[in-house]
Amino acid sequence: MNAQPHQIEIVVVVNGNPALVHAEQGTHLRKVVEQALSDTGNVGQPPENWELRNAAGLELDQSKTVGHYDLESGVKLFLNLHAGVGG
Amino acid sequence: MASPPQFTEPTVSHTKFASELADYEDQRDEYEARGWLLVEAHFPTVFVVMANTVLKPPPIVCGVLLEFTNYDAMPPSLKLVDPFTRVPYTAANLPTQLNRSLPAQSVQLPGLPAGGNIQMQVAQPLMQAHDPQAVPFLCLAGVREYHEHPGHSGDPWELHRGSGAGRLVRLLDIVHRYGVEPIKAYGVQITPAGFDFGQPPA
Repeated sequence: MNAQPHQIEIVVVVNGNPALVHAEQGTHLRKVVEQALSDTGNVGQPPENWELRNAAGLELDQSKTVGHYDLESGVKLFLNLHAGVGG
Repeated sequence: MASPPQFTEPTVSHTKFASELADYEDQRDEYEARGWLLVEAHFPTVFVVMANTVLKPPPIVCGVLLEFTNYDAMPPSLKLVDPFTRVPYTAANLPTQLNRSLPAQSVQLPGLPAGGNIQMQVAQPLMQAHDPQAVPFLCLAGVREYHEHPGHSGDPWELHRGSGAGRLVRLLDIVHRYGVEPIKAYGVQITPAGFDFGQPPA
């Protein structure tokens, strides 16, 4: 599906597997994460167990919107599972 | 590194291994920019050398040796190794412990007035061993050594297999995030050396 004029394209790399997500400036990153997890078949863990980072390694708050981080179309984000509890 | 016998249908493990590598290759430029240098990828072995790209000059921090025998009926094995000889580090000579900060704990010290608490930040190393001379393992679901440890018999691989916990990029990301990325600066100690005896008093 192509992006609408008011949407941007975000490449979300889920554990190394890329997914293309269309989002608007007001879309919460949580929705972006949910879409990327669904598209890549990663449904075994809830979104809160995943960390979303940009290419610089900065973790993005999933409660914030796309516009909050000034994400531009074509941006690449990385989604990886939390380390969880060790011991 | 001795591999366990391959009891999983080899075609399955080879196909899944190839899929992991294909995903890695798809974003290889990104990973190289992080300092991940893929040295070998030949079933069942993946060997990645990790460098810290922030420091100048950038140091090679460690090698990561993964072994995908029986993947993904079994999770991959992961060891931190010498980047030049591939000899696994013992716990005593690990170059990085993969310390993870735990939530700060508020502690009331004796003698301080009520409310005069201090915040204690505790770090938990993800690399664990019972003996300083033992080869430590990454204490993390998705790693073979974790699931084979008797202390984790209540957390079998099957509970994590479908979540991507044992995927190549995820495990490398954990090593990088906790073991390489936190290194922010060199510590340089200058020690005077080569003193000559002073001249005797005139």
